[in-house]
Amino acid sequence: MTTVEETDAQAAKAEFLARLKEFEGLHCESGVLALDPVNGPMIRHWAEAMGDTNPVYTDAEFAKTTHFGEIVAPATMLQVWIMRGLHAGQPGGDSPVQRLYDLVVEAGFGSVVATNCEQEYMRPLRLGETVEYDQLIETVSEEKTTGLGTGHFITTLVNIFVRTGEGAEERELVGTHRFRILRYTPHKRKPKQEFKPRPRRVVNRDSKPFWDGVDEEKLLIQRCTECGTLRLPFGPGCNNCASLEWDTVEAGGLGTIYSHVTMHYPKFPAFDMPYAVALIELDEGVRTLSNIVGIPHDEVRIGMRVALEFVQHDADLKLPAFRPVDQEA
Amino acid sequence: MAASISYDDVEVGTELPAQTFPVKRENLVRYAGASGDFNPIHWNQRFATEVGLPDVIAHGMYTMAEAVRVVTDWVEDPAAVVEYSVKFTRPVVVPDPEGAVVEVTGKVAQKLDDRRVRVDLTVTSDAGKVLGVPRAVVQLA
Repeated sequence: MTTVEETDAQAAKAEFLARLKEFEGLHCESGVLALDPVNGPMIRHWAEAMGDTNPVYTDAEFAKTTHFGEIVAPATMLQVWIMRGLHAGQPGGDSPVQRLYDLVVEAGFGSVVATNCEQEYMRPLRLGETVEYDQLIETVSEEKTTGLGTGHFITTLVNIFVRTGEGAEERELVGTHRFRILRYTPHKRKPKQEFKPRPRRVVNRDSKPFWDGVDEEKLLIQRCTECGTLRLPFGPGCNNCASLEWDTVEAGGLGTIYSHVTMHYPKFPAFDMPYAVALIELDEGVRTLSNIVGIPHDEVRIGMRVALEFVQHDADLKLPAFRPVDQEA
Repeated sequence: MAASISYDDVEVGTELPAQTFPVKRENLVRYAGASGDFNPIHWNQRFATEVGLPDVIAHGMYTMAEAVRVVTDWVEDPAAVVEYSVKFTRPVVVPDPEGAVVEVTGKVAQKLDDRRVRVDLTVTSDAGKVLGVPRAVVQLA
């Protein structure tokens, strides 16, 4: 089923493509003269940018000893001679290729990236030669979606000549430059994730001594001073004898995974989903809930031996966690 | 400096000396000036990221021209390359200040008529191919 809107959108697309296709085969820019003749300074700057130290590009004396007999321009500098300087690519030109570019930009395909280049070099260019060129729009693609975005490929062919003959009436083809670009709309980028802190510790009159211990990297267990029963988490009274008197002992830090779950959902930005949550039976006999770190969540097993460590999640949040240890320990 | 490599001395599979080319922002700024290609994706990080690129990227023509030096340095004759084509498959991302490294290897893929050979290059940066099917037709001695 297609909706009316979809049909309209398809028709608009087809109409736009038909307008683009009218540009195929158009010869634009015939016999355009290069802005500058092939010259030493431009060659030197280019060779320096490339790090190419071949002296045949820059040293006339050396060049005389070569089969060229004189300085030549690097072959891959071909395109440089037909560039139009700082105003290249600005809207407002009247050549067919510029009108084509304006059309696709107007349609929202404002970004550009080069995708292919094919060159032929008939002979090297020499100092003082001024090239001229013809440009042809070879193909305009239908709308395509790539990794970068959605748009149209445009292929142009530039034939590059040097005038020869007594009255300079002949044109010698010295090179060809076929270039394909993608004019596109970039994919929408996902907004950057803000820093989402983990939930804060809940500190109250009962739990404060526990968290003070964590700050000193100690895992404290509450102990009833009447009957000696250990308890965790901290609470006001003994579950065994109801006494309100207590002190603490520091856990040795070793335990065994008693049970565990893996959290897949809901997705909390502060957590690396999915992650393991385990109930750990400390060697002292009490159990505590914590994260298992150091192994993938799906390798956590009941009975694993684990050791206490402290994880600093952010400037204000330090929490105990457990990491598997040598299973003999 | 005619081509120093003889057609008779190469076979399909002959490897060209590999080369490594460091690319820094400075190279791109120089190349922009030297080539006349002032597209800001090649020197302006803000602009590059706004149009969806990971960072400033090297000019395709720069990478193309740099890569073929494996051929021109091998034959020692810059006029020996008669045809050269590439696809710009993946941009060379050039972060500041560390830059990027372009690694190029090449080998003779086919012996053609008129003492010419086809050389296929492999051009990688950051462990990925940046040019697709880079091929040069080379006139040998």
